[in-house]
Amino acid sequence: MTRPEPRPGLLLPAIALLGILLAAGVAEAAPPGSVSVDIGVVVASNQGTSIDPALSALRTKLQSMFNYSSYKMLDRMKRTLAVGETGDFVLPGGRNMRVTPVPAPGNKVRLAVQILEGGRNLLTTTLGLSRGGMVLVGGPPYPSGVMILLISAE
Amino acid sequence: MDCKKVNRMLQDEIDGRLPPSDAAEVRRHVESCGSCAAEAAAYRRVGEMLRLWTTSRAGEKAPQLDSLWTRVRAGIEERKQPSEPASWVRRWLWLPAGAALAVLVLLFYPSDVSRAPFHPSSFEVAVEDLESDTATVALVDKGDDLPRVIWIIENDKT
Repeated sequence: MTRPEPRPGLLLPAIALLGILLAAGVAEAAPPGSVSVDIGVVVASNQGTSIDPALSALRTKLQSMFNYSSYKMLDRMKRTLAVGETGDFVLPGGRNMRVTPVPAPGNKVRLAVQILEGGRNLLTTTLGLSRGGMVLVGGPPYPSGVMILLISAE
Repeated sequence: MDCKKVNRMLQDEIDGRLPPSDAAEVRRHVESCGSCAAEAAAYRRVGEMLRLWTTSRAGEKAPQLDSLWTRVRAGIEERKQPSEPASWVRRWLWLPAGAALAVLVLLFYPSDVSRAPFHPSSFEVAVEDLESDTATVALVDKGDDLPRVIWIIENDKT
């Protein structure tokens, strides 16, 4: 009786695929000494009851925090910045946001954030976050609702 | 048992397909009936002739049958031995298939981060300073498991 020849099956393609996906993930991660800043521009309103799929993990948080029925993500901007480097993010309504990572201890991230509206200083703050953490900045009016910025950093 | 019934059962009796009791009854009738005995003898002769004819036909066809069987056996043996190129192709077929799959996944992978869901690992934040020239700003903290919100109230708009 001959022993059947072992077949590689799907194991090797699966490993190869996993490797490719991991490589893609590593390519997106911030290099050491820099911070990957992720900004989500969300419009919250009471027009409709939809929640953007990108916000699905935050659904209950948003509903606990605010009295809006609809959350739509208008824009998403991601930039990797070195400490001391300023990233300029253009926001709707003639506003823009400047984010500068500043030195932080350990696994923390510190961001100097400034939101400007037509040259006026709307907000200046310095935020200390854990890597992968998130903070929300909201309030500026937007047609049909308000703008909420989701600021996260890794 | 009458002759008509025996005639219907005669062939089965010769072929041994009758139950023993029926066969015995048929045989008893044949021994005592001349016409049925003649009929039985005729059946037996036809049977013997058929057997002889079949045997002779099989003998005549034996070389062709042997030749056919040799060819069939050779075909079976050939199938048992895998041909090298086909086996090699089968063994490595997964490689181009896997590569094609990987390309497809990369093509349709949601590389557009604008639609990737947010999954924050923490909502802890330290707000070191909070200033505004044109608005009132407030830090809203509703608990550990909820995000901190910096709320901007633009004095001239709200």
